[in-house]
Amino acid sequence: MTLFISILINGCVLGSVYALVAMGLNTQYGVARILNIAHGEFIILAAFITLDLVTKNHTAPFVGFAVAIPVVFVISFALHRTLYKRVKDISANDGAFEGNAILAAFGIYFIVQNLMQTHWGSATAAYQFMPYSVKIGPADISAGNLVVLLIAVLICIAYNLFLSQTRLGKAIRAAAQDPAAAAMLGVRINTIMALCFAIGGVLAACAGVLISMKEPFTSISGLGYTTIAIIIVVLGGLGSVKGAILGGFILGYVGFAVSVYDSGFMLSVFYLIVLVLLIVRPKGLMGR
Amino acid sequence: MAMLEVSNINVSYGNVQALWDVSIHVEEGKIVALLGANGAGKTTLLNTMTGMLKPTSGEVTFKGERIDNLPSDKIIEKGIAYLPEGGRLFPEMTIKENLEMGAYPSTLWKNRKPDLERIYGMFPILDERRSQLSRTMSGGERQMLAMGRALMSNPTMCFFDELSYGLSPKMAQEVFKIVKQLHSEGITVLLVEQNVYQTLEIADYAYVIENGRIVKEGEGHAMLEDDYIKQAYLGV
Ligand SMILES: Nc1ncnc2c1ncn2[C@@H]1O[C@H](COP(=O)(O)OP(=O)(O)OP(=O)(O)O)[C@@H](O)[C@H]1O
Ligand SMILES: [Mg+2]
Repeated sequence: MTLFISILINGCVLGSVYALVAMGLNTQYGVARILNIAHGEFIILAAFITLDLVTKNHTAPFVGFAVAIPVVFVISFALHRTLYKRVKDISANDGAFEGNAILAAFGIYFIVQNLMQTHWGSATAAYQFMPYSVKIGPADISAGNLVVLLIAVLICIAYNLFLSQTRLGKAIRAAAQDPAAAAMLGVRINTIMALCFAIGGVLAACAGVLISMKEPFTSISGLGYTTIAIIIVVLGGLGSVKGAILGGFILGYVGFAVSVYDSGFMLSVFYLIVLVLLIVRPKGLMGR
Repeated sequence: MAMLEVSNINVSYGNVQALWDVSIHVEEGKIVALLGANGAGKTTLLNTMTGMLKPTSGEVTFKGERIDNLPSDKIIEKGIAYLPEGGRLFPEMTIKENLEMGAYPSTLWKNRKPDLERIYGMFPILDERRSQLSRTMSGGERQMLAMGRALMSNPTMCFFDELSYGLSPKMAQEVFKIVKQLHSEGITVLLVEQNVYQTLEIADYAYVIENGRIVKEGEGHAMLEDDYIKQAYLGV
């Protein structure tokens, strides 16, 4: 019973953070058509920014949002307007762009990771956030983890409201479904693509702040999160935000349950899930 | 001075030229048809007039103002609505959201609520199912939604690309009826059609485009009697 409640809640915590990571990757791929291999690096950048704020400036970790979000937004937007615009100009067609964009993202991955390693070193980084637990039934659950869950769920809800209720959110969905038709209705498609790439970065930054609150990380942890995000996006369906949330929670639960036994098996189990899914339902759970 | 004036435009896709020295004019309040075989350049011409493609030379003016260098949201705000070939609805958006996208340019967005009500009044079938996803609609209903979306911007001029394509004869009739109704309300219409006979019956004026060039023009009814049109497009 204790184990069951622990998996129920901690799996949910992990799942909510995975959902954020995958929503970010999906926003970047769904509209801007960039499979951003460097996604995880911006998660870790935000985590380090938060770490510095907490350990050097003695702020609350929440201040990480106020600093990391604008930093990652600006870097991502600028990257899209310069690097990816250039990649688009030299690509013969959309298919060629997707391939070239992955290569460019790999370049960004190496650069950002090396800069972080130079600046913050390779040691495991962590700080203490609400280091006490609350009793839920018979189980002891970390208070910090509950706060992380609450914030991640709020961000998921806010992002979905943004997409479904606002003018910009509707333009983003329209552009994801049919960019040429959106352009014919007056949507400035290049701006929307740059914005989507930057919004994907913001979601990565949010995930990074939360990850720093709940677990240790290193300057090379990023690729692991990118891999998980790609698995979730394949699982949930390319371009589907709801699929990313569903897939995030599934992997969160499975991941936590497996890690109780042995965390070394986590990725193998994830790959197994995707393998089975690709055979049974190749377009993903929510894909069309 | 015609409401819409296209003067000697040339348009290319990369090295391949698609329109050659094309000129057309559309008088206010008229229905003008643009006819031509597949690949003649009809859609290319519409895309150029709506800011999706830039001509390499020549100009497009609307109500005396040049529009060929404007982005499409500004062209829509000036009063031109475009219903693209195939409708191009957003499949995962509801009827209401698809309609709202027709009022996307910022000056129109503020006023979208009364516009929505106006479109629901015009197309009761859309009113009944505001929150249905457009991908679950029938072909005819989809074309109604595409028309409604185009009309959300309160246009003074509409470009319709192959409105009746893929519709049953009855549904095509219905669509042409709406075009006539818009015409009677004073809206200027530029119709691109494969359905040559029905189009010439309601058109005040028509152009024929072949291989990117305008090869013939004249009054709608006169075109119906024209030997070349009869032979090449009406199959008599
Ligand atoms: N995006 C594009 N890139 C390259 N060539 C194009 C493109 N779009 C159209 N063309 C070419 O331009 C010419 C005119 O095409 P367009 O779509 O304007 O014809 P259309 O008259 O609308 O034909 P249809 O009746 O089949 O819709 C064709 O030869 C077509 O192959
Ligand atoms: Mg066409």
